[in-house]
Amino acid sequence: MHKTAKRSAKAAAAGVLALTLALTGCGSGNNTNTGGKNSATGGNASPAAAGDDTAPVTFSIFMNGPGQQPTPDNKILKQIKDKTGISFNMEFLVGDLQQKLGVMIAGGDYPDILSGDDKLINAKAYIPLEDLIEKYAPNLKKHYGDVWNQIKDESDGHIYVLPSYGVYQGKITEPTYQGPGFWLQKGVLEEMGYPTPKTLDEYFDIIAKYKEKHPEMIGFESLNFDWRVFPLQNPPEHLSGHPNDGAVVVDNNVAQIFADKDMSKTYYKKLNDINAQGLMDKEAFVQNYDQYLAKVASGKVIGMFDQHWNFQDGEKSLISQGKLENTYIGFPLLYPGAEEWYRDRGAVGTNRGFGISINAKDPVRIIKFWDKMITEDWQKTLQWGVKGEDYEVNADGSFYRTPEQRNNAEQTSWQVANKISGMFGYMPKIQGTYSDGNAADAGTQPQEFFDSLKPYDQKILKAYNKKSWSEFFKEPKENNIYFPAYSIVLKDGSPAQLAQSKLNDLMIKYLPKAIMASPAEFEGVWQDYVDRIHKLDIKAYEDRMNEGIQQRIEKWSVK
Amino acid sequence: MKAVTKGSGRIEPVVFHTFNTIFMLFVVTVTLYPFLQTLAVSFNDGSDTLAGGIYLWPREWTLENYRAVFISGTIYHAAFISVSRTIISTVFGVFLTTMLAYALAQPQYIFRKKIGLLFILTMYFNAGLIPNYFLIKNMGLLHNFMVYILPSLVSAFNLIIMRTYIRGLPFSLTESAKIDGAGEFRIFWKIIFPLCTPVLATVALFIAVGSWNSWFDTFLYASSDIKLSTLQYEMMKMLGSIMSANNDPSMLAGGQNNQVQSLVTPASMRSAITIVTAVPILFVYPFLQKYFVVGLNLGSVKE
Amino acid sequence: MSDAVLDKQVKKPKTRKSKIDPEIGVELSWKTLKTQKQLIFMSVPIALYLIIFNYVPIWGWLMAFQNYRPAVSFGQQEWVGLQQFKFLFSDDTFLLVLRNTIAMSFINLVLGTVTAIGLALLLNEIKLKFFKRAVQSISYLPHFLSMVIAAGIVSTSLSIDGGIVNVVLMKLHLIQEPIMWLSEGKYFWGIIGASNVWKEVGWGTIIYLAAITSIDPSLYEAASIDGAKRFQKMRYITLPGIKATFVILLIMNIGHILDAGFELQYLLGNGLTVDYSQTIDIFVVKYGLAMGNYSLATAAGIFKTIVSVILVLIANNVAKRLGEERLL
Repeated sequence: MHKTAKRSAKAAAAGVLALTLALTGCGSGNNTNTGGKNSATGGNASPAAAGDDTAPVTFSIFMNGPGQQPTPDNKILKQIKDKTGISFNMEFLVGDLQQKLGVMIAGGDYPDILSGDDKLINAKAYIPLEDLIEKYAPNLKKHYGDVWNQIKDESDGHIYVLPSYGVYQGKITEPTYQGPGFWLQKGVLEEMGYPTPKTLDEYFDIIAKYKEKHPEMIGFESLNFDWRVFPLQNPPEHLSGHPNDGAVVVDNNVAQIFADKDMSKTYYKKLNDINAQGLMDKEAFVQNYDQYLAKVASGKVIGMFDQHWNFQDGEKSLISQGKLENTYIGFPLLYPGAEEWYRDRGAVGTNRGFGISINAKDPVRIIKFWDKMITEDWQKTLQWGVKGEDYEVNADGSFYRTPEQRNNAEQTSWQVANKISGMFGYMPKIQGTYSDGNAADAGTQPQEFFDSLKPYDQKILKAYNKKSWSEFFKEPKENNIYFPAYSIVLKDGSPAQLAQSKLNDLMIKYLPKAIMASPAEFEGVWQDYVDRIHKLDIKAYEDRMNEGIQQRIEKWSVK
Repeated sequence: MKAVTKGSGRIEPVVFHTFNTIFMLFVVTVTLYPFLQTLAVSFNDGSDTLAGGIYLWPREWTLENYRAVFISGTIYHAAFISVSRTIISTVFGVFLTTMLAYALAQPQYIFRKKIGLLFILTMYFNAGLIPNYFLIKNMGLLHNFMVYILPSLVSAFNLIIMRTYIRGLPFSLTESAKIDGAGEFRIFWKIIFPLCTPVLATVALFIAVGSWNSWFDTFLYASSDIKLSTLQYEMMKMLGSIMSANNDPSMLAGGQNNQVQSLVTPASMRSAITIVTAVPILFVYPFLQKYFVVGLNLGSVKE
Repeated sequence: MSDAVLDKQVKKPKTRKSKIDPEIGVELSWKTLKTQKQLIFMSVPIALYLIIFNYVPIWGWLMAFQNYRPAVSFGQQEWVGLQQFKFLFSDDTFLLVLRNTIAMSFINLVLGTVTAIGLALLLNEIKLKFFKRAVQSISYLPHFLSMVIAAGIVSTSLSIDGGIVNVVLMKLHLIQEPIMWLSEGKYFWGIIGASNVWKEVGWGTIIYLAAITSIDPSLYEAASIDGAKRFQKMRYITLPGIKATFVILLIMNIGHILDAGFELQYLLGNGLTVDYSQTIDIFVVKYGLAMGNYSLATAAGIFKTIVSVILVLIANNVAKRLGEERLL
């Protein structure tokens, strides 16, 4: 027995050794390939001189969020390679961003292209882009013309990152509303005679009446899980007529937190009453995100406050179950006297997009590539796809998709071979409409929206005399120049950041406590909560926000 | 041990075995259920799963979850890397751990305490992310397959387990070999190593599972090289992309609807991924179980 | 002293011990080195490798006394003395997270050890080989589930709306109405403990099953001839046979008393139980890594190491005095 055991062990060891050698060889070979192969071709690409350079080159990209890795033979990537010679080595974030950035910055190991990140800007990982744009990128210059000052970094005035979202042209269309609201099931509205609630009282009245008839339903739902705390934390700012500025409300260009103010107390007191009446889901603050979605998908939740995208997966499940009457319509509830500001115009996502790293082989080539990509022809390819394959064109020139094409677009397996959504999310892009009047992408094309509408939905819309879900909300007002305040950068480890984090902790802990308390105890819990907030260095946080707001007003007002 | 009461001897085993069997069936139920549920969810339609109520059997059969997992061509190569690193780590790890444990188990060995202490301390400290990164970088192990093998070659925990086992072996076994003039290495390889099969199997399992499941080394040291990606890492990448697809508010600002709509939900994807990554390694244990036989080796040596 | 390392259940010749007693006899001399050159060759290179991969990066501990920013080279970092430690210890939640961490690790340690040994003993009694292997292979399945899936199953089981735990307890009339287990801090540690047992018991058993195999079967035969019963054999043969492994694992795990993990607590905890669910690791992630403060994470790591090493040394010493197997 020993003999055979030994022999096989030796044989295995030999095999393993061979495998090790083979893999080591392959590993070190790879090591050089990223740098070596490319720099050779990169050298050829003498800047500017030869017009459009199409020599093959591979750029490495790091994206600071997870995303879909396209297949190697992806249709769009192939087209890009054919026409520009450029291919990509994409790395999407897996795991924790802070850890990844830590080692990346410490080691100075940057790829050619980096997605925008404040930590990387602080670490001077990007090259300034404004001269490159002026020289080589007329289309980008035009694209960002109106927001040129807004895309400059706040600290030193250079442009390091080209924002991927928030630059509009033409008309802004928004048939499906993704933002915040107080939601009610369509079936509930139908049964109650199509009411339009405007205040908290009216809203909860509807829930109470409906629940009386259908006691098995859950009255009002909420969520307080992980980073998804906005269903619990944000309502006061919307009820009081403020746009979504995060943890502060801004009046007359002065920001202050609202967690401890009366506008919050009124709302949570109301929820406390609701809870006492048995209308609040008892498990609302114990559940995780999956359980929350499961409740929405079960069709048992009458209403909740949330941002639409956050529970969309649950609605999708309802649609696939054919339970359209359990899907939702949002309402912009307000405190008496407040003016509605639920919908907002997307602001330019400063420092969110792509930048070029200091290690980049050929910055000119990269900026020229993006410049080409922002042209309408390429944008149509990137957003709609290939004509005749992914979308069709009407006699009047408007784009549409066949049911089959629409169905394709939902298959993960199709997406990875035919779209590059992951990377495109970070690229400069056209939003709104093209010069021929078509919407930037299929999701915002009005006709596309109507075609996908089921008869039941049409009936509901008709009853309310509306054409789309977003019409339940007022047209967005012009953004304040500094909007949104939540994108103001808090320095790592600063008192402001610490205060914000601790404030958030207190809200996570005390708001559920206050709501679940018996009505008699509410005052006590609330007082305790407010006292604890006032022990924090809230001033440091508010000061930093106001400083940021003033800086933006000063710099961004100049167009 | 001596005082024995006779009489109840025939009933007791029956009662005991009945209860023991019932208890084991309970253990099996409780531990098997989550896996069966995961399996059922992995074959169930993603949107349908959200509504809950999937326990042991899929309601709306689909292969879309698995299709989504296998669509990216990269996972075959990643699986190859995973298998390779697991086999290599296990073979070298087991051999080196046993050899070192043997040396440290020798009571007369002069450095046994010092080296033992060095190893034990490693269990309780961690230099931190960035210093470790610099070490790996300076050793040229970034984007190198050996980064999966070298840093975790011998773990203190396994070493101690192995040392404890070797210390427990009867010393008479090596005594005669010593008298015959056999060297330490020879004694280790010819006598001790074959005697250790149960603990070898245990340590092999620990190393194999650890190596198979690890993704952090890929994340930190080899993430930009797709040729070195491992199965676990590719799976995390895919899960991340599904989870982000519907949940990036910045992409939705202003009603822009560019986000990837997907039929596969995070929960269904996670289940399919769990099955794909866990099933291969699950087969290792039953395979190793034949080495967990009481007294097999001790008995054979004595004869 | 060192003969304590030799397991007592196996009779061994005493000759070796009298010839070379490490505490007294062997000195560091060329002669010793020469006679032990094979042992040295078998161990020192591996030890050197260990020093490179584990001890060289330890310079990083200096970061705990800095305000480390990765973008700046090490020489130009700002030195802040003990500021990071002060932040750590002066935070009013630190004592709370310390308490939670120790409580949960302690529960995990006790429950984990007892259940693993118990299951190993019972598995060992199964005569049907196939059944035994099947139970073994199945019981360790949950070890391979990710924490997210495990936490999902735990919270579904504990739900008031048809969760299996409430259903069973109601059926048994142990409770009148469903309990919201996850909403109350007083249940939290127990839930974590039970979840860990469920997830890891099969895995934890492996090591004891391996230890049981090292027991000389002739001991059982002899005991059977003497008429020893099942529980007596367990008590007097099996348990002593795995005692060395048990003691070693215990000492090692005592050193991990500040590692209660954070994933499960993070996933199962919520605002209502936060005073019981936060662990040191969560604290460090929140105020350290998430804010780019690598120095704080390092300081916390040093604190944990010091506590661990002290505890391990104490445990080891106790074991030594009791004449048990020990780590060092």
